[in-house]
Amino acid sequence: MAKEIFMPKLSSTMETGTILQWMKKEGDPVEMGEPVFEVMSDKINIEVEAYEEGVLLKKYYDVDDVVPVNTIVGYIGEEEEEVPETAPEEPAPEETSQEEEPKEYADTVPATADANGQIRATPAARRVAKENGVLLSDMEGSGPKQRIHQQDVYDYVQAAGEKPKATPLARKRAEEQNLDLNTVEGSGPGSKIYAKDLTGSGQKTTGAEPGRIPVKGIRKIVADRMAESASTVPHVTLYSEVDMTEAIRLRSQLQDKIVEETGYKLSYTEIMMKAVAEALKRHPYLNASLSADQQEILLHKEINVGLAVATEQGLVVPVVPRAGEKGLTALVQASKQLAENARNQRLQPEQMQGGTFTISNLGMYAVDGFTPIINQPEAAILGVGQMKETPAEENGNVVFRPKTTFSLSFDHRIVDGAPAAAFLSDVKQLIEAPYELLM
Amino acid sequence: MKTYDIIIIGSGPGGYAAALRASKEGKRTAVVEDRQLGGTCLHRGCIPSKTMLQHAEILQQVETAAEWGVQTGDISFSYPQMLRRKEKVVTQLESGIKGLMKNGNIDVIQGRGRVNDKKEVMIETENGAQQLQAASVIAATGTTPLVPPVKGLKETAHFTSDSIFEKKELPASLLIVGGGIVGVEYACLFASLHVDVTIIEMKDEILVEEDADAAAVLRRSLEKLGVTIETKAALEEIQSAENGLVTAAYTDRGGTKLEIAADEVLVTAGRKPNTSALAQTSVQYDNGFVRVNENMETNVPGIYTIGDLASGGWKLAHAASAEGVTAVEHICGLKPSMHTALIPRCIYTFPEIAAVGMTEKQAEASGCHYKTETIPFQGSGKAMAMGESEGFTKIIAEQKHGEILGVVMVGPHVTEMIGEPAAYMHLEGTVEELASMVHPHPTLLENLYEAANAWLGKGIHH
Repeated sequence: MAKEIFMPKLSSTMETGTILQWMKKEGDPVEMGEPVFEVMSDKINIEVEAYEEGVLLKKYYDVDDVVPVNTIVGYIGEEEEEVPETAPEEPAPEETSQEEEPKEYADTVPATADANGQIRATPAARRVAKENGVLLSDMEGSGPKQRIHQQDVYDYVQAAGEKPKATPLARKRAEEQNLDLNTVEGSGPGSKIYAKDLTGSGQKTTGAEPGRIPVKGIRKIVADRMAESASTVPHVTLYSEVDMTEAIRLRSQLQDKIVEETGYKLSYTEIMMKAVAEALKRHPYLNASLSADQQEILLHKEINVGLAVATEQGLVVPVVPRAGEKGLTALVQASKQLAENARNQRLQPEQMQGGTFTISNLGMYAVDGFTPIINQPEAAILGVGQMKETPAEENGNVVFRPKTTFSLSFDHRIVDGAPAAAFLSDVKQLIEAPYELLM
Repeated sequence: MKTYDIIIIGSGPGGYAAALRASKEGKRTAVVEDRQLGGTCLHRGCIPSKTMLQHAEILQQVETAAEWGVQTGDISFSYPQMLRRKEKVVTQLESGIKGLMKNGNIDVIQGRGRVNDKKEVMIETENGAQQLQAASVIAATGTTPLVPPVKGLKETAHFTSDSIFEKKELPASLLIVGGGIVGVEYACLFASLHVDVTIIEMKDEILVEEDADAAAVLRRSLEKLGVTIETKAALEEIQSAENGLVTAAYTDRGGTKLEIAADEVLVTAGRKPNTSALAQTSVQYDNGFVRVNENMETNVPGIYTIGDLASGGWKLAHAASAEGVTAVEHICGLKPSMHTALIPRCIYTFPEIAAVGMTEKQAEASGCHYKTETIPFQGSGKAMAMGESEGFTKIIAEQKHGEILGVVMVGPHVTEMIGEPAAYMHLEGTVEELASMVHPHPTLLENLYEAANAWLGKGIHH
């Protein structure tokens, strides 16, 4: 009996996966545990391994196809076995697979490749989009839950075919200058673009060709998520200067002990994480997210703190789970290992899931404050700047104190200014008097 | 004091076009004219000479037709009758302009107008002086033939393009001083009417401002018509001789001193601007012409200058009309609708010469990478059938995109045909679009099509 190969659901938010490559052709023998195809979710790309032995009988989707999770993408079975000619249209109900799927595909390895994000679309729409070389992410769906239908793709293709009116010479020049005519204002009748309209528009050539890097993989994910967050979330950023004197003392006192126990050094990041976790316990609205339909605010029971880590491939945010329950030693252990994995591209998908709050530390650079963009669907993100000796008043004298600016961006849909300010004040206080953390 | 939104001084093709446009925009408009409506173009330029050239062309055709089997018996013509027809054409067109002015509720004030910086317009009329106030003034007073400072010329009776048709009979011989556009047109006209014509031109070649190949074709044609052409010749002195002739002493290009005698002298050595209407203003000048910006406005806000009087631009009737429209549009706060940078140029010789855009010389001077393609009319079926296969079509185009920089055409009807390449240039079509548009056969315009294809290296016949 032929066994289905499903598009795995790799995270709670994953709705679709993009097939990056097939390792097997139809008719190829497949061993259990052998990678069959590579898939890109909104967070990561992985190789999906076979959990059956046999022959790859059928594959229904091609490279770059965006497939809803739990959709049958192919079959593995005995040679000559009969399988459906076309893929079953609707994905299996999520409930049935949700529990077992992550287990089945836990044995996956990250890879680097292309992405297309999560888009609801009918298979026919996908086929037409592929035939026309257009991206589903560029169009709007008219179906339920914005699902893209075939007609939506046709409409999009037709609209895209209506190029801006331009003279032949203007078109040739624009092509040479790599200028998008849609960005040029035409001076002619009916806004027709003439060659002279190109000057001063867009990126004019300076003679030297710019370097070109395709926006894909992690870059594409970061680009999409940041753009979405910045454009949909009403961000407010609060700043607070935090005196680090006591945190420095705490760190030096615990340093040797922690190195001895974990092999890793204690960083301010972990002290801050501890303080943030503690403050989040007191301010549940900051450890929250908006439900997908935006009808409810979800107050998370667990405090899972994400750490923004810069890698060669781009920004990733591994998550320290249950940070609120961990002591400094455990936090050091967890965050150091995650950061290492991130830099070595060995992060597992689940290690980037479930975050409820994010810390972005730029303290190693000459940065004081900044406006971090919220890692959706979280409610807030804390940006940490450099520590520097700052004049402060003490008993009528000017003294210098090591201070760091904390920048807290919060989602004003979820939480208001006053409670967010109260949270930031608590974080500040916990770091300035860190012994409270021991309570 | 009567007030107007716009007062236009001069009713030539610049002035009356401006007036009509202003009236269409609902502006209270007056035109001040001290001679006849229509200006130089209608009365002393384009229209009289084209009418007379048409007569000459028909005479030529009839003469040629005898060889083709069209027998007409003895051919004769009446110069006075030709002049009368010319008058009729002019009168009819003038009354047309009068009608347009009336329909547009444009006040036409007969008299010599002058304006000051306050845009008060003083007019000397037959019934005394009159003063008007305008919000904006457009000076369109044009130019007058220039008589160069040649010894004896002022004192000797001579004609200019203003006066040449005042003489009611044909001279046996005519000396034309100046081989520019006006000079060669009159040379064609009178030589076709069997007048013995000599052109004396101080520059290297006739039509020095146009394409050298075009000038060479025209020179051959003029010489075939019996015209003597002395280029790079220095005119020393002109004087009246006792036998009623005029003699001219000159040094030819070889340095030889020569003298010729002719019945009449026609001076076509350029034109000078009529600036008296602006004498009381503080407008600025460039080489005697009024300095204007791209809206045709002078340095005095609200005072505009268009046409021949304005510096820069082509001194052509249609350029003046376009500039007039541009000035009015600016006054009305409208977006300029005229592409005044692209002015086709037409010379009504036999064969005609027409050009648009850059000449080859200008293309070279611009430093861009260009390529030219020239296709002669000798291979054109239509031109051969017409018995007029002299001339060529030349495309000057930038190499990278095939942007058409300029087109020169020499041959029959090219003054009509130049509209096609001009349209391509105006709409920024490149050589590729021109080459891909199927042209009807047999036509003269196939020549342009052929040139475009040959430019791309895929000419069918070339």
